[in-house]
Amino acid sequence: MNQLATVLAAEEFQAHHWWWPETKEIIWGGLAFLIILLALIKYALPPLKAGLRARSERIHEQLERSANAKADAEAEAAQLRADLADLDSRRVQILEDARVQAAKLLEEGKLRNDAEMVELEARAEADIASARGRSASELQHQVGSWASETAERYVAQRIDDGLRHELVEDFIAKVGAR
Amino acid sequence: MTDVLDAYATALVDIAKAEGNLDQVKHELLDVADQLDGHDALKSALTDELVPVARRQALVEDLLAGRAHPQTANLVGFVIGAGRARDLGEIARRMAARVAEGADATFAEVRSAAPLGEDQKNRLAAALSAAVGKKIDLRVVVDPSVVGGIVATVGDTVIDGSVRTKLDQLKTLL
Repeated sequence: MNQLATVLAAEEFQAHHWWWPETKEIIWGGLAFLIILLALIKYALPPLKAGLRARSERIHEQLERSANAKADAEAEAAQLRADLADLDSRRVQILEDARVQAAKLLEEGKLRNDAEMVELEARAEADIASARGRSASELQHQVGSWASETAERYVAQRIDDGLRHELVEDFIAKVGAR
Repeated sequence: MTDVLDAYATALVDIAKAEGNLDQVKHELLDVADQLDGHDALKSALTDELVPVARRQALVEDLLAGRAHPQTANLVGFVIGAGRARDLGEIARRMAARVAEGADATFAEVRSAAPLGEDQKNRLAAALSAAVGKKIDLRVVVDPSVVGGIVATVGDTVIDGSVRTKLDQLKTLL
C-alpha cells in the first residue's frame, strides 16, 4: 500500500497539468455538482419558478390596473371636458335669462310705479274731497248746534206761565181727542 | 231683572198695606226716588257699595226724619240694604203701578215744567183715561227740564208733548 501510494504520488506529480484539475477532483467535483444541481432542481427551482411566476403575475396585475386607471382617468377627463362645454353654454343661457328677467322686471317696475302714481293721485284727491266734505259737515254741525242753543235760550226766555198753561191745555186737548 | 224688581215692588206694597199707610208710602217713595234721580251726589252716596250699608241707611233716616213717614224711611233702608239702591226709582214706579192695578186703574206719571191746577189735573186724568180706556191714578211731577208742555208716562206708553223734546228734534234736524 505504501508503495502504491508512493507510485501514485509519483505518477500524479509527473501527470498533473497546471490548468486541468486532477481526475479525482473532476469526478468528485462533478458528482458533487450533479448532486447539488439535482438538489437545486428538485428543491430550489420550483419555489424559484413560483416566485418568478408570482412576480410576473403581480407585475401583470399592476399593469392591468394601471391601464384601467388610465382608461378611467381618460373617461373622466372626457366627461369633465364635456361638462365644461356644457357649463359654458349654460352660463351663456343663464346670463341671457337674467338679462331678459331684468328687462322684464324693469318694465313691470315702471308699469307698477305708473299705476301706483295714479292710485296715489286718486287717493290724494279723494282725501282732499273727504276733508272738504268733513269741514263742510263739521261747519254745518257747529252752525246747527249754535242755532239750537240760540233757539233753546230764546224759548226759555219767552216761555212764561201763560204759555206753559196753554201748552198743557193743548196737550190735554190732543190726548183727549185720541 | 224685571221679575226681581216686580218682587221688590210687590213686597213693598204688601208691607205698606199691612201697616195701613199704602198711599202715603207710595207717594213718598216716588218723591224720594225723584230726589235721588235729581241729585247725583246723593245718589252716588247711597249707591256706593264701598260705604257700609248701615251708614247709608243711617243717612236715609237722617234725611227723611220729620219729612216722611218712618215706614217710608224703613222701606228705603230695606231697598238699600238689599243692594238695590240704584233701582229704587223703578221699584217705586212698579209699586205705584201695582197699587193702581189693585184699584182697577192705571198708574200715570206726568212731568210738567210748572205745577198744574186741580182742574187741569182732573181734565188731564180724564183725557188720559179716555185715551187708555182705564181709570187713571195720576201723579204730577214738576220738572223744569221739560221747559214747557207735558210728558205723560202711562204704563209702558209715553206721550211726549214737551217743548224739550221739540227742541231736541230741532237740534237733530239742524
